[in-house]
Amino acid sequence: MNVPLFAFRGVELTLALALALALASALPASAGQYETIDYYVQQMIALASANEEAGVLIFREQMENLPRPEPGDARQASPFIQHGQERLASGQPKEALAAFRQAFIADPADPEIAGALGLTYLRSRRFKEAERLLVYALSLAPTRSASWLVLGQVYGQQGDAHRATGAFVNALRFAQDQPRVTEQLRQLATADPADAVRIGALQALQLARPAPAAKPVLPASPPPPQSTAPVRSKDGSSRAPEQTALPATTAGGLLGSLKQGGDLLGSLKQGLALLAKPADSATAEPVASPAADNGNPGQRIYRRGMPLTCLIVTFQNGKTANLGSGLLVSKDGLVITNNHVIDRAENLAVRCGDRESVARIRKRSKEPDLALLATTLKSKESFILNQTYSQDLIGLDVFVIGNPYGLESTFSTGVISGLREIDGVRYIQISAPISPGNSGGPVILRDGTVIGVATMGLKVGQNLNFAIAAADVIASPIFAPKQMQVRSMSTP
Amino acid sequence: MNDACRIPALLLATWIVAMPAALAQDSERNRYFVQQMIEMAATNNEQGVTGMQRMLEQNPKPAASDPAAARAAFQRGLAFFGQDALDAALEAFQQASRDDPGNADAVNYAGLVYRKMGRFPEAEAALQQALVLEPTRAVAWFQLAQVYGLTNDADRALGALANTYRFAQNQMRAEEILRNIAENEAADTLRNAALETLRLFHLPAEAVIVPPLPANPDGIVPMNSMPNPTRAP
Repeated sequence: MNVPLFAFRGVELTLALALALALASALPASAGQYETIDYYVQQMIALASANEEAGVLIFREQMENLPRPEPGDARQASPFIQHGQERLASGQPKEALAAFRQAFIADPADPEIAGALGLTYLRSRRFKEAERLLVYALSLAPTRSASWLVLGQVYGQQGDAHRATGAFVNALRFAQDQPRVTEQLRQLATADPADAVRIGALQALQLARPAPAAKPVLPASPPPPQSTAPVRSKDGSSRAPEQTALPATTAGGLLGSLKQGGDLLGSLKQGLALLAKPADSATAEPVASPAADNGNPGQRIYRRGMPLTCLIVTFQNGKTANLGSGLLVSKDGLVITNNHVIDRAENLAVRCGDRESVARIRKRSKEPDLALLATTLKSKESFILNQTYSQDLIGLDVFVIGNPYGLESTFSTGVISGLREIDGVRYIQISAPISPGNSGGPVILRDGTVIGVATMGLKVGQNLNFAIAAADVIASPIFAPKQMQVRSMSTP
Repeated sequence: MNDACRIPALLLATWIVAMPAALAQDSERNRYFVQQMIEMAATNNEQGVTGMQRMLEQNPKPAASDPAAARAAFQRGLAFFGQDALDAALEAFQQASRDDPGNADAVNYAGLVYRKMGRFPEAEAALQQALVLEPTRAVAWFQLAQVYGLTNDADRALGALANTYRFAQNQMRAEEILRNIAENEAADTLRNAALETLRLFHLPAEAVIVPPLPANPDGIVPMNSMPNPTRAP
């Protein structure tokens, strides 16, 4: 692409540049808002990866001439931006997404907000949305280096090293702080888990590599003769002649670049050794918070039990029909709940902690009122069922986690008030408050084991609530001995 | 839509327009056009939507009987609306609309107030009237979609949301609003309609596994608004 087409007055007009000039006004008339800006951004990427600066600048100008969206309400957006930044910094992309989205809706003309939303989509591994937001951000500010840098990562994450290269080159081209962006690209080239991100960053660095003359010169050396000085390219930048060819966007290209890029080799090797896949929030397992064991039994039980306590949602005719609670009882994602929670459900969804899954009914029984659900929520930890059922239980503290009336992860405490047998089913009577929505949730002892499954309460009176004894869960047809753990009450 | 499909779609649109136009009164005919815009938008029939839009745009704009009084009433309505005084706001917006029947803002706000009051049939009628006056008014389409979503009319919620996106001044913002509804709206019909709208326009969308729960379940009221406690027997 870099073949000179013709030259006049010392300016070489390359084929790529000529094409850029022709294409700059060749946008289909029927293109929508996004298609128009995407067209320009893609042209800037293609020309950047061919190192055609003049072409890039033509399209940049085209973008700058596009009509601007109406300014939004910056004051309304401001608190959302701050909240989003805090959440993003603390590794909570879901919360950051909600905040930046609100900021964007309030002020869609601010490229910083659109860029931050794009970055958050990238962190959430929602690449299509990330691309759209970043392309849009670039339409607002075509020379915003940070948007190009993140867009390069989005393409790299999707395996498109070529477009990653072009976007990274533009990140460097438009950077106000070149050393900083160079260092960011160096980091990506060495340590990013995605091959295409590393390749794209490395190729961008190669394309922008400073010419030999820019390197420190020994004081004793004579000034280089004019003929060996780096050629001045048509775009005005210094560049070594042997580096005009774009390396191939393949692993072979990477190896080729490695052979050339001596200063990068060490850091690349170091980075490759450090490669690790990022944690995927959809499959990440619940881990007890470091602050969990702080001496307060309620807090300790809540922090350990909350990620293992589930919200159960049932659907009929595509609409939400019922809500309840459940408990994760195996490492392969089995969840126990009440049968009445999932009664007449056509579809089921489960959220345990911050992880979600669709669910299917594996077993169910009317008496006792129990159901076993299969989910995809693999977990290192699960609740242990306590098989004790004796008068020794009365007076022990109990802790209940559930979703009464949809108020997720509500925690309540009480004591075991009695043992009751109703219609042949053994129940633990508890004083901990429970309400509709708690059904199917765990009743937990101080040692963290589950002594019962919250099921029902007396409408009259106060705090007269009942949980199916874990002993009866173990004796019921839903119990899976190979997958579920059982324990007796710890000796005081 | 390719050319082969365009001609039958236009013929169909013309036929649909001609039939009731001969039979119905102007206002009913106009509402019919709005309904057609909704139905055609739900199937992404762009030509059909545009045809109906043109029909509505050909209507002569009603003349204002007292423009100054209309402006004053509208400003009063906005002030009451800002104070959440919905009854007073509604009265002011209705007055503004009577003084200037061509004022789409006034009738749109009246629709919004009706929706906030939960008076959905009146909200629908007012918002449709706003669209008769200004068929590309994205905000009226959006509010109409909410009315349909909250009254469990999935098809019309989809059509109205599709027109919200189609006529949005900033489509990227509209896209993000749709995504926000598709992921965070507790009302199933509206949430599903937003998701379907994103799919209709081939925009990236993520269906939620567990639907969002209402932030405040029914029945949560401030303690001081609860009935007096009764002494236990």
